[in-house]
Amino acid sequence: MISFELTDEQKLAQSMVQELAASLRPAARGADDREEIPSSILDEIWSTGIVQSQADADASSATLNALLFEELAVADAAFAIAVAAPTGFVSAIATQGSPAQKNNLLPLFATDKYRCAGVAIMEPDFAFDVSAVRTAAVKTRDGYRLSGIKGPIPLAGQCSHFLVVAQCDGALEAFVVDRELKGVSIGGKRPNIGLRALETAAVSFENVELPAGARLGESTGCDVQRIVDSGRTALAAIMTGISRAVMEFVIPYTKERVVHGAALAQKQVIAFRLADMRIETDAMRWMTWKAASILEKDGDATRQAQLAYTYAAEQAMWIADEGVQMLGGHGYLRDNPVEMWYRDARSVSVFEGAVGV
Amino acid sequence: MIDFELTPTDQEILKLTHDQAEIGRRYASYYDKHENELPPEQFPEAAKLSNPVRLAEEVVNGSSGPRILHSLVMLETFWGGLALHRSKWGLGNTVLKTVATPEQIDKWKNHTISIAITEPGAGSDPANIRTTATFDRETGEWILNGEKIFISQAQSADAAMVFSRFIAPDGSRGLTTFLVEKDTLGFTVGPQLKKLGIRSHDTCNLLFENCRIPEFNHIKGDFKSTMSVFNDSRPMVGAMALGVARAALDFTREKLAERDIAISYRGGVRSRSAVADRFLRLEAAYEAALLTVLRSKWLEQQNVPPKVEASIAKAAGGKAARKITQGCIDLLGPAALSEDHPLDRFFRDGRIFDIYEGAGEIQRLIIARSILGYTNKDLR
Repeated sequence: MISFELTDEQKLAQSMVQELAASLRPAARGADDREEIPSSILDEIWSTGIVQSQADADASSATLNALLFEELAVADAAFAIAVAAPTGFVSAIATQGSPAQKNNLLPLFATDKYRCAGVAIMEPDFAFDVSAVRTAAVKTRDGYRLSGIKGPIPLAGQCSHFLVVAQCDGALEAFVVDRELKGVSIGGKRPNIGLRALETAAVSFENVELPAGARLGESTGCDVQRIVDSGRTALAAIMTGISRAVMEFVIPYTKERVVHGAALAQKQVIAFRLADMRIETDAMRWMTWKAASILEKDGDATRQAQLAYTYAAEQAMWIADEGVQMLGGHGYLRDNPVEMWYRDARSVSVFEGAVGV
Repeated sequence: MIDFELTPTDQEILKLTHDQAEIGRRYASYYDKHENELPPEQFPEAAKLSNPVRLAEEVVNGSSGPRILHSLVMLETFWGGLALHRSKWGLGNTVLKTVATPEQIDKWKNHTISIAITEPGAGSDPANIRTTATFDRETGEWILNGEKIFISQAQSADAAMVFSRFIAPDGSRGLTTFLVEKDTLGFTVGPQLKKLGIRSHDTCNLLFENCRIPEFNHIKGDFKSTMSVFNDSRPMVGAMALGVARAALDFTREKLAERDIAISYRGGVRSRSAVADRFLRLEAAYEAALLTVLRSKWLEQQNVPPKVEASIAKAAGGKAARKITQGCIDLLGPAALSEDHPLDRFFRDGRIFDIYEGAGEIQRLIIARSILGYTNKDLR
């Protein structure tokens, strides 16, 4: 039944995270400048319980996660991804892992302190596509041998595990890889255009010998597309949050700034773009909710997730771009956040497969 | 709980609507080519078929709600292009229902009443209308003079709700509405207008020359109450726009598939052809707009009168229909230009929704004023 009604629990969680996001917002610029997220902030966002709840099938909710990622991304997209990345990992284990994988891995995340693990789909290759990864796993007598390079991976240096998507026997499979295994090496931090606080790095897997039990779902394997769908939905939620941040910032600015005798916002050319920001931000959110609600019901969300992600990518970039433009020269300075959102919007919109709801 | 799945009841009613839309599509093509003929009140096939609009509004349990379902029924109907059951309701009826006295409502409750606002010199700025009614003390009648243009249901309606200036006996002036019945002396309905599309849509200009109106026909809708009828209709226009847009998308997907261009949603942007990518983006624009319509209709059902959301739905639907119908022809190339298939009609029909019932620019003014906390004096 078509409904936009939030449950009481969702409303409560949303308002709590909204409050947290407001308190974290002032730290966003410093984190971008210093290219790291302070551990105190990581612990604070961990305290939302989003990652931990993935382990519990009754408590985990893709729709709720989408709601909360949007709120966190209003404060900062990097902060949102710092939670959405381990969420992607844990939710893939919880929904597609074998009983042994669940027993071994899920308890590791039931902590009070921030803990990271990443879904590794992206590869540092200009022709990369989620449907055509080059990393490969070859069957061996005891398991698999994994080779390839993945990245950028958020907070790679802090990840205890990677869920590596690789070609295997002509299909895509996912493998749980402990960072301590021989052949796994985590590259140095490589800041990107945006999301600079995320401490992303490339991780190389050089003939890593994996036990048979490393394959997600073990003998039955897994549905990699579902991991991709979940990732796209999470990114769409985060892009909705960035768009809202831009919109909420430029509205008071354009009302205050007087040009040729009238507030910028009183000029139709600006006012209409603001109206379009509102239209598109609404649409992005509802598309995200739709994809998330299908995922939550274990339905086939591939089409909806693709449409939500593609639309949000286009619109978030447009909104961030207009945000910079409305501030003119001030928008180009790092004194104002719009240039950061401009970089973040471009980065998130191509950041496929690093996160999940 | 957040959910976007149609219920079995929704699906059943929408299936029935779709079947009728398939029939409607054949008639739509005929009336597109015979623009001076008015479609009948009911097509022969309709006699044995339920009116889906009525079903949507009447169903009590098991649907996503009457407002949501009604909008989806309209979408489906516009997918076909012509309803088998013509609506007896005009926007003038909405004004009557909202502001008239019980006696007035009783007199005209079974009439179809068009709404007449736009004039040659006043469209998006209805406060600029020139049509004027003066009061004749001797007879106690109003004398109406003026011209109204682009009036929907002009020929088929029994009466027009005319938005007019008035000069009262005490000299006071203002804006108001008069119900003018079809056979009133001095009231002329012009010929069908020659339009780019929606040629089956009854649209004429109206002329009022010393038209004498009894005081009983003074409905007294003011500016605000008259304009507020559009709050209901705006998301509906968004839904109609999306009906045409989806017709174009369905046609294009089918033709691309026949030439082995399938749309896959699995891979990323580097895995698909430019044609597939552009199609997918048009489809995303459709989904985006559809959800804003559903949002607005859902709010209505929660008894939260949508204002900004109604405008969002109208603006999003109108824009999507333009982009999608234009884009589909571009994707299919020269063969898409032919009048041998309906894409040509979708392209022409799809252009109206961002114009009528408040152009996209007017919706953006409403949205911008709302998010900026501006009055209509702050932002013109």
